[in-house]
Amino acid sequence: MRTLTDTTALFKQKVASAWSAKADRLQSATGILLGCFLLVHLHFESSILFGKEAFYHVVQFLEGGMFSETGHGYPLLTSIFSTFLLVVVLVHAAFALRRFPAQIGQWRALRSQMQVVNHSDTRVWFWQLVSGFILFFLVPVHLYTMIATPEIGPHLSAERVYHDNAWLLYIVLLPAVVVHAMFGLYRVAVKWGISANRTGLRKLAHILVVYLMVIGLLSLGQYMMIGSELTLPIEPFRP
Amino acid sequence: MSQQMAKGRTLTFSIFRYDPQMPDDKPKMVDYQIEEAPGMTVFIALNQLREQQDPSLQFDFVCRAGICGSCAMVINGMPTLACRTLTSKFADGKIKLMPLPGFELIGDLSVNTGKFMREIAERLKLWLHPKTGDDDIHRLEAPMSPEEAAKLYELERCVECGVCVSACATKQMRDTFVGAVGLMKIARFELDSRDARSADDFYHVIGNQDGVFGCMTLLGCQDNCPKDLPHMQQIAYLRRKMAVTLV
Repeated sequence: MRTLTDTTALFKQKVASAWSAKADRLQSATGILLGCFLLVHLHFESSILFGKEAFYHVVQFLEGGMFSETGHGYPLLTSIFSTFLLVVVLVHAAFALRRFPAQIGQWRALRSQMQVVNHSDTRVWFWQLVSGFILFFLVPVHLYTMIATPEIGPHLSAERVYHDNAWLLYIVLLPAVVVHAMFGLYRVAVKWGISANRTGLRKLAHILVVYLMVIGLLSLGQYMMIGSELTLPIEPFRP
Repeated sequence: MSQQMAKGRTLTFSIFRYDPQMPDDKPKMVDYQIEEAPGMTVFIALNQLREQQDPSLQFDFVCRAGICGSCAMVINGMPTLACRTLTSKFADGKIKLMPLPGFELIGDLSVNTGKFMREIAERLKLWLHPKTGDDDIHRLEAPMSPEEAAKLYELERCVECGVCVSACATKQMRDTFVGAVGLMKIARFELDSRDARSADDFYHVIGNQDGVFGCMTLLGCQDNCPKDLPHMQQIAYLRRKMAVTLV
């Protein structure tokens, strides 16, 4: 017969198991959401490469320009969506924290194993760990900026990048987030057995990292160029 | 055949040497040179080195045929079996040998995988738990379908060499993590119709942070297993099944 202590221990074990399963699912689900968002986000912001007008229309569309009387949309939507993303990032980070080698002994074990064993996916994960740590600090800064000053536009964004020195943030944020997200999506796919074609997925992740870095850096350069040509105070772009 | 080919290349082995039993000994790498022979494996070379150059060299072997799993070591950064690694694989003739990380070091290239395997077997109860009545030796054992036997055999091929444990950075960081060998063996007994344990019993052993949800999918197990066991698919299958059952 089970004693009360046995029953309590079994119950605790069941709760711990359920939480482990929940944590793994939530980390993956929030990761997929954020990774897919990044893919779309970088394309939207890179529309500046097709000219100021192209970017202006993308922004107006996303801010619900078609529903506003002036046709300029509601920047508040950016604030609301950024707040939602911040919550998703916090959930993702909270569950991803359990993967961090938080103790010095764990860090040393990881480094010494990597010195002896040459394994590419472990190296990729290591860079995900490093980029994840960087993102802990940089993503909230970026999202806070978008919550506090949600106005986006060819001139407004260029002013932020060039005159407010946001490029310093983006030049570090871009490689960190691209590496973290693309290899994260690859890992989630093999982790849950979504695809068995691991070689293909890994190749796709590598291609996407290069591609997103190229469009991200080119568009950052474009905002810098536009910003350098603007005189303060700036006039928002109107087509 | 050229003179060079007939004579064979000169291989340089850089081998980790350390005897924890010797109080003044310090870990070091020692270089040895040996003439390559046709079809030479790292295991053959090591035996030759021990016979001809250094009788104090410690490494394990039994079967020479990839069945016993004793000669696992890290060969040029890859944890694998010495008896199944041809020296001709290394174009520059330089071969670096390290003991498997994550195990108690006996000396040089020899590690105590047996101690680890016994502990994990006792912890996860990795033996057949017969159904009531099945343990009566006077009764005929219930027949098993060939399909089920084939499935079991696929997972039973594990030789407990310890490569998956060494290749797994997660296991190195978290001592309590059961590793691919533990998960593979649990999957093996879960499939076995003769075992009395329910799916629930298995899930409570590995449906947690030390089990399938502790795995970070670094896939060192999948990429290095010398028996090509389907670790990636197996762990993904267990994870999916348990994520649905436990939540």
